[in-house]
Amino acid sequence: MAAIRVLPDDVTVDSRPGETVLDALSRSGFGYRTGCTRGGCGICKVDLRQGSVSYTAATVSDQVLPPDERAAGTCLSCRAVPDGDLTIELRNERLRRLNPYLTARFESTTKKQVLRNERKRPWE
Amino acid sequence: MGVMRLGYVHTRVTDLDDARRHYGDTLGMKAVHTEADRVYFKAWDEFDHHSVVVEEGGVGLVKMGYKVATSDDLDLFERRAQQFGCLTERMSRGDNVGIGDGVRIVLPSEHVLELYNEAEYLGSEVGLVNPAPFPRHLVGVGVPRIDHCLVTAEDPDTLERFFSEVLDFRAAERVVEDLDGGGLLGSWMSCTTTPHDIAFIKGPNGKLHHFAYELSDWYAIKNAGAIFTMDDVPVDVGPTQHGITRGETVYFFDPAGNRNEVFSGGYAVFPDTPTKTWTVDQLGTGIFYIGRELSERFTSVLT
Repeated sequence: MAAIRVLPDDVTVDSRPGETVLDALSRSGFGYRTGCTRGGCGICKVDLRQGSVSYTAATVSDQVLPPDERAAGTCLSCRAVPDGDLTIELRNERLRRLNPYLTARFESTTKKQVLRNERKRPWE
Repeated sequence: MGVMRLGYVHTRVTDLDDARRHYGDTLGMKAVHTEADRVYFKAWDEFDHHSVVVEEGGVGLVKMGYKVATSDDLDLFERRAQQFGCLTERMSRGDNVGIGDGVRIVLPSEHVLELYNEAEYLGSEVGLVNPAPFPRHLVGVGVPRIDHCLVTAEDPDTLERFFSEVLDFRAAERVVEDLDGGGLLGSWMSCTTTPHDIAFIKGPNGKLHHFAYELSDWYAIKNAGAIFTMDDVPVDVGPTQHGITRGETVYFFDPAGNRNEVFSGGYAVFPDTPTKTWTVDQLGTGIFYIGRELSERFTSVLT
């Protein structure tokens, strides 16, 4: 299990093994700008600030995520699987809470995460 | 005689196995031919060899094929396309599996369009003698046939002129900036009796917005939407109804992110049917009559 910290909102959610960044945020009730969610359009690109990701869940086309962009820290969030704790930053937008009923679970998760993160401070 | 219909769509996909599951198991097309890097699919009510080709490597549109009635049409359209200023080349039988000689044209929008008049005949899955209304072995959505493509073009005016002057298509509906000679933003053009066999909206050259399958009715559209959820297919918009074409629709994405549509209804057009016009301030209503809102995703996701 990896912690995904999302800026600029500074929200942290857990991801399950093999789960993409987008799936982890969706499962926790959050939304942001996404397109095809299948790696074809690049609409859900975010900036990777800390940590690393792998594209093991599915093939990603160089057409959509060119190697130089990938090296410069662009993360195609619908296909990216965290290698461990990481921090991403949305591009000119904020997280939206799509499922407010997940709040309690999210907050407890976050509280736990915040405690864990305060110990580890993976983004510092 | 002219262009009869959209015959095939050839797209790129990132993973052939995923594409096989989507086009085969979810949409219910039959894989009629397989090569190392591509699969050819046919829908149950189509007669020719294939209508969808998926090729591994990348995303987006490789080319569209439109079937013309006679080899004389090939000569005519080749000459007209050259006069229009397009690059053309002849293609030979077998360049595309199951497809005969033809003419390849690079459109003003940089898309590749192939015209051909012969294809290997495989027949529909219900036959021609006392045919059943549908085959009972269908899986998934069980799409009967492909219907149209929508692509993007930097210069919709020139592309509309190409389809009109070179291929004798007629605009069923158009979107303009304003009614006083404002610029063209999109055109829905017909070579059959359906309101669009090709459509394009302003955007980058060479990109695919979607290609569509025809379903029988609204009920089939709704059921297709449910099957997409069962198979974890991301739905873009729908089920809803278009203002433009009046068709019923669900937009969804294949596993490589190419947008597909299931479409039903619409109205009949004839050579003397007048063109309808939409103003850009009503584009949301034109595209989605119920809801009246364009989503950012609908206008920005292209492959």
